[in-house]
Amino acid sequence: MKTDSGSPALSPVCDLCGKAAVFLDRIRNRHLCAAHFIDDVEERVRRTIQEYAMVQPGDRFAVALSGGKDSTVLLHLLRRLMPGADLVAVTVDEGIDGYREATLRSAGANTRRLGIEHSTISFLEMYGKTLDEIVREHQDRACGICGILRRKAMNTLARRVGAAKLATGHNLDDESQSVLMNWLRGDRERILRRPEEFGGQGFIPRVKPLMEIPEKEVALYGILNGLFVELPECPYMHSALRSEVRGILTSLERGHPGTMRRVVEGQARLSQHLLAVPRAARPLRACERCGDPSTARLCQACRLLHTGAGSETIVSLDR
Amino acid sequence: MKIHLQDGTSRAFKGGPATVSQVLLSLGVNPVEVIVSRDGKVIPEDTFLGPDDVIRIIRVSHGG
Repeated sequence: MKTDSGSPALSPVCDLCGKAAVFLDRIRNRHLCAAHFIDDVEERVRRTIQEYAMVQPGDRFAVALSGGKDSTVLLHLLRRLMPGADLVAVTVDEGIDGYREATLRSAGANTRRLGIEHSTISFLEMYGKTLDEIVREHQDRACGICGILRRKAMNTLARRVGAAKLATGHNLDDESQSVLMNWLRGDRERILRRPEEFGGQGFIPRVKPLMEIPEKEVALYGILNGLFVELPECPYMHSALRSEVRGILTSLERGHPGTMRRVVEGQARLSQHLLAVPRAARPLRACERCGDPSTARLCQACRLLHTGAGSETIVSLDR
Repeated sequence: MKIHLQDGTSRAFKGGPATVSQVLLSLGVNPVEVIVSRDGKVIPEDTFLGPDDVIRIIRVSHGG
């Protein structure tokens, strides 16, 4: 380890320029200073956007902006990497008391600072109730219910603003958690999902430019660029399976650097392999209640909200 | 050494020379889940800390 000998404590220095390091890359076994760390993250995101052909000329891009660190970093990165792109930030206000107010303020402040158009939709407007009201009797399944309703709301808003693509701030940790959760639930549909089915059939195509960046590096990029504001945690976070899976994966990542990347790459290889397997397409039709694309008589959100509203429906959807 | 934890509380660390990682693990914190700063500057997890250092732990994991 190179160190800065002038410091009272032994402080590592950047392997590229000798300045004080801010980050130890445990996979590539090197230290980076702030400037080289920022360059490295931006280059990797640029490569991801190119490799997956996420941007086509003339695309109007909706950026899902919750106001938290991931989506805030995503918005700044897209503006920096694609200065001429037609970006519009879209925010869903689920109605989570004591949590969403602060993140909504953060979202508004960032879009004003960047001069980016910003549009918001709420669960109250979409469904007539806040998430707090919807999950009052089902708090242990709040994340699953919120995910279904938020996706529908986000898709509605993205269509409303005329977007061709929806960019979300999912990072490597999120992606690896989703893969492991699908296996833990025995969710054959999602495990065997083909590349063209990602994001949901009939929905505005979603892209994830941060999907190869670990959460810690997204946060560090935010801190180094003055974007990181400590915000309250979602009150439903700890009730979710995701919270336990997060702990398992970060523990494995600590002992075996690169675990999260390998989990995601393994799933991607499986998805690519499935391209060669013939499969009858499931025909899409319009949901009988809302008209959104659906493979069943009612879309997931309408089944959740309108068929018996009781626990059975919610349990079956949230697995 | 003084440590400001992510929940707003503070603790003293009394022991021999230790790296950021070793201090975090002694507190039951996984270094993968946090960023640490000293005097307002972010430092890597293999930085050796001195007895007079004051560090702050910033949690990176965030739901929602």
